Amino acid sequence: MATLRAEVASHDRVSDPGAAPEIFLLRLRAPEITQKVRPGQFVMLKVAAGLDPLLARPFSVHGVEGGDLLILYRLAGKGTRLLSQVKEGQELTLWGPLGRGFDLNVKKPVLVAGGMGLAPLRFAAAALAKQGREVSFLCGLPGGDGFSELCESLERWAGSQVNFSLATEDGSLGVMGLVTALMPEALAWGDAVLACGPIPMLGAVARLCAERGVPCQVSLEAPMACGVGACLGCAIPAAGGGYLRACQEGPVMDAAQVDWERL
Amino acid sequence: MGAAPNMSVTVGGLTLSNPVLAASGTFGYGREYAPHLDLAALGGLVTKGVSLQPRAGNAPPRIRETACGMLNAIGLANVGLEVFLRDKLPFLAGLRQKGLAVVVNLYAESVAEFAELAGRLAGAAGEGVSALEVNVSCPNVKGGGMAFGVDPRAVAEVTAAVAGAAGALPVWVKLTPNVADPAPMARAALENGASAVSLINTLLGMAIDARARRPRLANLYGGLSGPAVKPVGLRMVHQVARAIPGAHIVGLGGIMSGEDAAEYLLAGARAVQVGTASFVDPGACARIAGELTEFCRQQGVADVNELVGGLINS
Ligand SMILES: Cc1cc2nc3c(=O)[nH]c(=O)nc-3n(C[C@H](O)[C@H](O)[C@H](O)COP(=O)(O)OP(=O)(O)OC[C@H]3O[C@@H](n4cnc5c(N)ncnc54)[C@H](O)[C@@H]3O)c2cc1C
Ligand SMILES: Cc1cc2nc3c(=O)[nH]c(=O)nc-3n(C[C@H](O)[C@H](O)[C@H](O)COP(=O)(O)O)c2cc1C
Ligand code: FES
Repeated sequence: MATLRAEVASHDRVSDPGAAPEIFLLRLRAPEITQKVRPGQFVMLKVAAGLDPLLARPFSVHGVEGGDLLILYRLAGKGTRLLSQVKEGQELTLWGPLGRGFDLNVKKPVLVAGGMGLAPLRFAAAALAKQGREVSFLCGLPGGDGFSELCESLERWAGSQVNFSLATEDGSLGVMGLVTALMPEALAWGDAVLACGPIPMLGAVARLCAERGVPCQVSLEAPMACGVGACLGCAIPAAGGGYLRACQEGPVMDAAQVDWERL
Repeated sequence: MGAAPNMSVTVGGLTLSNPVLAASGTFGYGREYAPHLDLAALGGLVTKGVSLQPRAGNAPPRIRETACGMLNAIGLANVGLEVFLRDKLPFLAGLRQKGLAVVVNLYAESVAEFAELAGRLAGAAGEGVSALEVNVSCPNVKGGGMAFGVDPRAVAEVTAAVAGAAGALPVWVKLTPNVADPAPMARAALENGASAVSLINTLLGMAIDARARRPRLANLYGGLSGPAVKPVGLRMVHQVARAIPGAHIVGLGGIMSGEDAAEYLLAGARAVQVGTASFVDPGACARIAGELTEFCRQQGVADVNELVGGLINS
């Protein structure tokens, strides 16, 4: 699994024109990775050649279409800004797939996405649907601003097996409120939760699941240097003391493995 | 093109197939990188620092990218000697059998602990360990750490204790750049039983989020590494090489390419270590070893040792 150079097959802004956040869908020709990757795993992607920025950026895999690897990302800083300028036909360096993905051995999965948590969960939903599972997909956003096109395309994509519900804090799309407000109804049906999003949201989801005795898998982010378990930079506080490596024991962990107080 | 250049070097009591080793703390215990490159292409590797007891390490965030470099404050998180011997050493022994030098990096907070670590490694390590590297220069841990590495008497004492306990195992001492002149530390190490000195460890630094008015690392300060520190590493290797004729020096700090490695050899190093570059490209160590060979070939250098110390007298 050496580093590879992958051609950019397409690269489009998918968030609403003019609105923040700016979200992009990057499609890379990377059959070496698409053959192996499982939902929840990630890749390390060099956003530009040269020494600054130095480190590769971790991105979850958003989906696989044939030999194409999809990455859905939000403009967050210098690295993602440089990445957003990369044109179709150019090549990017990356390595992966890395880390531990979702355990898809679940019967009635409820997927809970906060913001960019959509990225890995769409891949998980697609894989679960392919296995013949019915999926409840809950998505929470601060507001509809910027996301309306993306949400429409998700709803269109969802089809009959994936039951898509949306909550926005400002009520501009879907139900008004936090995504956790959608959970009680979904959990009346579901028996397992797969979640990805900001840490406060994941903490709330984990608490709700713990109260109801529902197994909960969370995908966590931490700053990463190597992505392969060597630098020990990506420490996630572990329940019972010490740390787990987000890149190795994660990014998907059982919520019970995590010390939410110290996170 | 001429014949393949000789890449074999001798340094610090070891003969290496080529001068490129993976640096401590950036290559795990070797196995982490096995899927990513041909380990056999390396001259050797230095393990993550091993301490007597396991260490959990510092609270996150532990790393932060900076211009052409990164800060880390891992806090010497490691599995501890017992687990190291049981779970990590067998894989390393396999690498050693393939001809790689396996250098175990040691971390302790007192002279007595350093000696105990060295003694237990020398006793238990058998065929698995080629040499020990004593870290007297970690900037990120309270107590111990860099405190040893900035005082020549402390360096002398630690080195003598480790060398006394290590038996036949060669001892390398890893020096800090957080001093005005590394030569007195190098002399203290080399006169007290060290076969080589490695330098540099990381430079103490800080990053601040001005908008949030917060330090970027939970530990406040961290060690700077990567291409940003290469000029400092070259200068310090050169200072030691000039001050101590014949000193065996392992040079590191910011090496990203074969040509960077050649610069260190010219400054006076007999071998080099590659650290942060492995994060940027998991195949870096093997690539750099290949590039150094290619550099020699292109420059008409028949033996890589011809480069060593080429600039000491300039
Ligand atoms: C396992 C994993 C999967 C991820 N998947 C996605 C995804 O699918 N889509 C997406 O938009 N983002 C994802 N992220 C977050 C993404 O890596 C960061 O947004 C990105 O690194 C920001 O880089 P930057 O240079 O633009 O930002 P800057 O803030 O300028 O980056 C500075 C440094 O901080 C690091 N950093 C900043 N934000 C994060 C973060 N949230 N997590 C980890 N490191 C960070 C950067 O890598 C860089 O080293 C993921 C993170 C992890 C750990
Ligand atoms: C994440 C990280 C962990 C490190 N851990 C150790 C360690 O345990 N022991 C040690 O002697 N040096 C450690 N170092 C220092 C490196 O071995 C090396 O001296 C330094 O990074 C400079 O080289 P580079 O610029 O090639 O990375 C660490 C460096 C980094 C970046
Ligand atoms: S990113 Fe290096 S250990 Fe996880």
